[in-house]
Amino acid sequence: MADIILWRLALAVGLMAGGVGLYWLSNRWLLRRAHNSIGDLLPNHSRTPVLVYFTTPTCVPCKTVQRPAIEKVRGMLGETFQIVEIDATERPDLARRWGVMSVPTTFVLDAQGNARYVNNGVARADKLLKQIQAV
Amino acid sequence: MTTYALQKVDHSALKTNQIMIILFNTIGFILNVPWLAVLVAVVMGLGALLKVPGFGFLYKYVLKPWGWVKPDVLDDNPEPHRFAQFLGFVFMTAGSIALFLGAAVLGWSLVWLVSVLAALNAFGGFCVGCAVYYWLGRIKVPGFIKQPPAGTFPGMRPSRS
Repeated sequence: MADIILWRLALAVGLMAGGVGLYWLSNRWLLRRAHNSIGDLLPNHSRTPVLVYFTTPTCVPCKTVQRPAIEKVRGMLGETFQIVEIDATERPDLARRWGVMSVPTTFVLDAQGNARYVNNGVARADKLLKQIQAV
Repeated sequence: MTTYALQKVDHSALKTNQIMIILFNTIGFILNVPWLAVLVAVVMGLGALLKVPGFGFLYKYVLKPWGWVKPDVLDDNPEPHRFAQFLGFVFMTAGSIALFLGAAVLGWSLVWLVSVLAALNAFGGFCVGCAVYYWLGRIKVPGFIKQPPAGTFPGMRPSRS
């Protein structure tokens, strides 16, 4: 009886670990996809970290939270990083290529153009600051 | 296209429901107790009938008053979440019936499917049942009238405004 319970417990843990692994892989895939799309977005990449910010004109949290957060980070870090803002309604091709499913979505790219972080939904100023400083 | 006003939806209540579903289903599987799957099916069915998250009473009467879980109220449509719960109820009922008919693999697979989708919603912010609801709305199925909140991919959790 105990053997069966242990076996089922191991199976449940294995399935859960598989789920976590899949989630991690999907996040990696999103970042890799962003990396492969960097050329379309920044043909003249200036070798500084880049914050890619997907928004739409009707997105309320973009205006009320995300934009002020980005401006706050810009105020703190100055011109040490580049901001690329993309209207997903004007450039649905880019949104699709970058795997953007909701706005706001922000990507933080390092100086080599590698996508290092992705934030689905609102990313607060402190979080963005940490991510940009880390790349 | 008609636009409908969004309502205040407490996503903490939804999350509590999803986590309880995962918990009961997992314990039921590990201990091989199909009655726990039946319990989840009944609670989800009652929730769908009463238009509330099935295990939401735990959040409303215990977790929220005691301050263990804070409200997370977002502008959203409640209907897709109700539909998602109803879909979960259907799968849980099918799984429970299969378990009691001796089809353990099929039964537990259906139970696990519900748990995986609940986990995807609770931890990944993507509600598959809601996406199905919006998709049915797009192909003009009567009754599926709500549109996803502006700037939100159908089924994804809306951003905090």
